[in-house]
Amino acid sequence: MTRILLANIDKPEQASIVKYRERGGYKALEKALAMDQAAVIEEVKASGLRGRGGAGFPTGMKWSFVPRNTGKPTYLLCNADESEPGTFKDRILMERDPHMMIEGMAIASYALNCHLAYIYIRGEYEFVANMVQKALDEAYEAKMLGPSVMGKDFALDIFVHLGQGAYICGEETSLIESLEGDRGYPRIKPPFPATHGFLASPTVVNNVETLCALPWIIQNGAAAYAAIGTEKSKGTKLFSVSGHVSKPGVYEVDLGYPLVDFINNEAGGVPNGRKLKAVIPGGSSVPVMTAAECPGVLLDYESLLKAGSMLGSGGMIVLDETTSMPETLSVIADFYAHESCGQCTPCREGTGWAAKILKNIVAGKGKRSDVDLLLKIADMMEGKTICPLADADVMPIRSFVTKFRSEFEALCGDN
Amino acid sequence: MIEFSEEGKRRYQTILSHYPDKRAALLPVLTLAQREFGWISQEVAEYIGKLMSYPPSDVLSVATFYTMLHKKPAGKHHIDICKNVSCWLMGVYPCIDEIKRQLGVEKREVTADGKFSWDVTECLGSCGTAPAMQVGDRYYENLTPARVAEIIEKLRND
Amino acid sequence: MPKFTLNGQEVEAKPGQTIIQAAADHGMEIPHYCYHPDLPIDGNCRMCLVEVEKMPKLTPACTTLVNDGMVVRSENERVKEAVRGVLEFLLINHPVDCPVCDQAGECRLQDYYMVYGLHTSEIPLGMKVRKRKVIDLGPMVVLDQERCVLCSRCIRFFEYVTETGEMQFFGRGDHVAIGTFEDRPLDNPYSGNVVDICPVGALTSRDFRFKCRVWFLHATDSVCGGCSTGCTVRIDHRDGTIFRLLPRRNVEVNRSWLCDEGRLSFHKLSDGERITRPLVKGRDGVQAPVTWEEAARSIDSRLKEIRDTNGAASILGFASPSATNEALFLFKRYLDGLGATQFDFRLDSEDKKLADEEDQILRHFDKHPNSMGAIKLGLMSEQVGGIEGAINAARAGRLKAGVVIYFKPLVERPGDAEAEGRVLALLDELEYSVLLTSHKADWQDSASVVLPVAAWSEEEGTYTNFEGRVQLAGKAIEVEGNALPVWEVFAMLLHASGAESPWMSAEDVFATMADSVSVFSGITLDQTRLPGVVVG
Ligand SMILES: Cc1cc2nc3c(=O)[nH]c(=O)nc-3n(C[C@H](O)[C@H](O)[C@H](O)COP(=O)(O)O)c2cc1C
Ligand code: SF4
Ligand code: SF4
Ligand code: SF4
Ligand code: FES
Ligand code: FES
Repeated sequence: MTRILLANIDKPEQASIVKYRERGGYKALEKALAMDQAAVIEEVKASGLRGRGGAGFPTGMKWSFVPRNTGKPTYLLCNADESEPGTFKDRILMERDPHMMIEGMAIASYALNCHLAYIYIRGEYEFVANMVQKALDEAYEAKMLGPSVMGKDFALDIFVHLGQGAYICGEETSLIESLEGDRGYPRIKPPFPATHGFLASPTVVNNVETLCALPWIIQNGAAAYAAIGTEKSKGTKLFSVSGHVSKPGVYEVDLGYPLVDFINNEAGGVPNGRKLKAVIPGGSSVPVMTAAECPGVLLDYESLLKAGSMLGSGGMIVLDETTSMPETLSVIADFYAHESCGQCTPCREGTGWAAKILKNIVAGKGKRSDVDLLLKIADMMEGKTICPLADADVMPIRSFVTKFRSEFEALCGDN
Repeated sequence: MIEFSEEGKRRYQTILSHYPDKRAALLPVLTLAQREFGWISQEVAEYIGKLMSYPPSDVLSVATFYTMLHKKPAGKHHIDICKNVSCWLMGVYPCIDEIKRQLGVEKREVTADGKFSWDVTECLGSCGTAPAMQVGDRYYENLTPARVAEIIEKLRND
Repeated sequence: MPKFTLNGQEVEAKPGQTIIQAAADHGMEIPHYCYHPDLPIDGNCRMCLVEVEKMPKLTPACTTLVNDGMVVRSENERVKEAVRGVLEFLLINHPVDCPVCDQAGECRLQDYYMVYGLHTSEIPLGMKVRKRKVIDLGPMVVLDQERCVLCSRCIRFFEYVTETGEMQFFGRGDHVAIGTFEDRPLDNPYSGNVVDICPVGALTSRDFRFKCRVWFLHATDSVCGGCSTGCTVRIDHRDGTIFRLLPRRNVEVNRSWLCDEGRLSFHKLSDGERITRPLVKGRDGVQAPVTWEEAARSIDSRLKEIRDTNGAASILGFASPSATNEALFLFKRYLDGLGATQFDFRLDSEDKKLADEEDQILRHFDKHPNSMGAIKLGLMSEQVGGIEGAINAARAGRLKAGVVIYFKPLVERPGDAEAEGRVLALLDELEYSVLLTSHKADWQDSASVVLPVAAWSEEEGTYTNFEGRVQLAGKAIEVEGNALPVWEVFAMLLHASGAESPWMSAEDVFATMADSVSVFSGITLDQTRLPGVVVG
């Protein structure tokens, strides 16, 4: 398997610029700066790189939507809000190899003609932000950032911006609102950030992992990247796996790697001789898969979609046979109720209502009709909101309830 | 009348210099304010509002959106312990009970000596090392009730 | 012009219009809470979801622009289901305390609830999110957080219209609550508007609260008498009592807003005693009640006597900028008939203040609704030079008699007492004075004749605002006692003087005015209804 993102993750002092450069760091930036801006975008397009923040949108295409010569600055925002339950991959990239992200940001900024970029890091990751800040300081010192990046006629400033506890601020328009100093209310789209983003200017929001893939792509060429993975899911992807596995952690796999092999080989399988019950493959907001649904499924965008779930953020949660599905769903539903920004009616009221019903069911105070009510609430919320958070609640609700209905009903008082 | 310390005032100016638009500095300034004053009281909201020329209602409205900004006094050490899926699967509830036992206060309450307060929180991005909790800007991971007791003991003497 | 299909009907939209706006133009109301035609769009309530062909999801009509050839459905089962869903969501945490809610009868939650045939919410009371009730937000507004549907209209009003930002959301998720900082009172001069725009009973009027159930009220279209802006209003009244003023939306004047002073201005009318009968000073110098006929005969003969002795230039016509155009027109016609040449209406430089903005929202410094009408009707002269000029001329003996109309302004300003003092001074200096007014005051003893007249809201008529916009105000309230509308008093005087006096209503007077006064020529009464008509 190819190691692109985690190639140097365990090497000593990889976080320091000296070691990073010794191991080939900032060569890709140098190469990019010698290319046409448009050529860099073309290269990223050709690589087939897709956004790793959750939606999987082709990165090169996103960049090509940014209008040029608007008379306004263009901004790059690195999305390091990583708050999707089960996801902890960006953290390790920032902790252990922060210069890779900085170099990726510099390459992206150059391609987009952006001179001011921010890294929006969730507030809980303050210690991570401190590490990133240290790396930024080194990069400025080494003239990788500042008025003349690597001696070229290209200026770039990057600042760290710390969130303060709001999952929704990972959604890109909420992130922009938050960065602008407001409540993190997602915006109605269109207009899209590409034209009206931060301070109503053209803006690109990219996930940490997406940006980290850029140095390798520029250095080794789009073709080399596109050679990895499947036809539509190119390159490698980080999966952070947790829950009932022997070796939880962050793993890099070629897209298209079999799900079952991943759980058993990389993650060390389900411990204590227990059997697999279910997998949430891409963060708490994607539909849960039963153990029976897993064989034959590959870890790539298309295969997971075909299997009725999604790749999402790659935050995989593994559940063994002892797990109570109603309780798990109750924990998840609580999360979405807590994190709904409260702006639009179906999400604000629906997430809260569903969470209350589930609490009741778990406490043994539910009625059988509550199980159907959950599905009805899911219908009432789905596709009717400003941002996808409500749908992110709908997917677990619907999949848990339909796939494990008897467990829910067994808890209901009138059973 | 409250006011930033000299160091706080310097930090404030630095924060402003990071943004092309003053408003963008509001969240970092609130974060700074919490560091300086412990929590975002109405008085703090009013002070920040005056400082940056925004209505206090506006400042408080922003502050109440973000759960890490305290709207009530917090202890010197504020513990946020994750109750999300992976931490729950890995047994966070016994750890939470241990916190309660050790501190003798309910969530969002402050201990009599003002040293501790605690709350449950959502996924901290430590699911692979669950259960996890955060105290100030530090993470504590792979928690067990015994480790929780140990950590609190250490913080107590801090 | 983009054409689109709305529920099977091909209709036109203006370029840049959203579906909800275009539908409204064609008389189709798409259900909504957060959308308000005079506020920036927010799209948060999701009530206005409609189906647009080729769009996989339902889309909000308030945020979606009409495209040529679009096929929109707002009434099929899929859309109804979605709307029902949103309503149900709004009700799960709602206290449903309609029996004690002042909004009952004009609550959008109640309305839609009926239309969409919902049953009660399924969440047990104990599980509802509780918030605070009956929060006093100053002189105009009372807040009930539990009834709020979080549409943010009030927030947007204070953010974009007054730019004061007092109201905000606090918290997150289903705990979001609306309020002001520390429950501070709303002290900006437009705060009452949020009561109107709140679609539910979360913000209710402190002034109107519990005074009357809305279904007992009668509405009369009118124009605010509070200043020269001439905001278009609706008077809600019952049994001769006004309960409240509400804005009527007029994009050309006040959009959907009123200032607080204007909104409360009607209270001024019940301030103080009314004059109920014509009073004429006898030889003993004491005013005594007479019939209207007696009064008219005596006035007409006295004025003619003075004219014949001292010349027509010794008669002053001093008008009020609070009177209607029709009143001022007949006032002038009667005095013109006597040959009078001296006219004015200015107590306090109204001509200069009338277009002077007190703020950038609505208010003007001139606190009279019809100064422009007085000017257009030729009631201002350099020769007289306002009331000061008139007092001097009377003192110097050049003016002997005067017909004076005076109304206390409905919106107070410092200087009002001085202005009123100047009226008294004028009466004192004149040998013979006829005062037309609505409310009693001791200084009125100085007048030779006092005629009780209808006040604002008690007669039909038109007003001309600062920009020359003529707008019709209907009659809401019966006048007290024997008082008459001003126009009728002059119609009577014209009759007494032997002139033709064919008018049976203010409408008749308006028609004559439109025929005979060049600035008003050609306009019809219909044109003076919403949004009014601007005259040259
Ligand atoms: C509720 C919600 C939460 C999200 N959280 C994150 C996040 O924490 N990190 C992230 O990179 N993207 C997150 N996203 C996706 C972003 O909106 C956006 O698509 C992404 O940052 C784009 O970057 P990419 O194209 O590089 O993936 C979230 C989306 C939603 C709807
Ligand atoms: S869907 Fe939820 S999180 Fe997204 S805008 Fe609406 S209320 Fe906010
Ligand atoms: S108080 Fe009324 S206007 Fe304001 S947000 Fe609530 S429902 Fe809307
Ligand atoms: S601005 Fe003038 S006309 Fe409008 S409501 Fe206020 S007082 Fe009345
Ligand atoms: S679930 Fe606790 S850190 Fe992710
Ligand atoms: S009216 Fe369209 S979303 Fe509220």
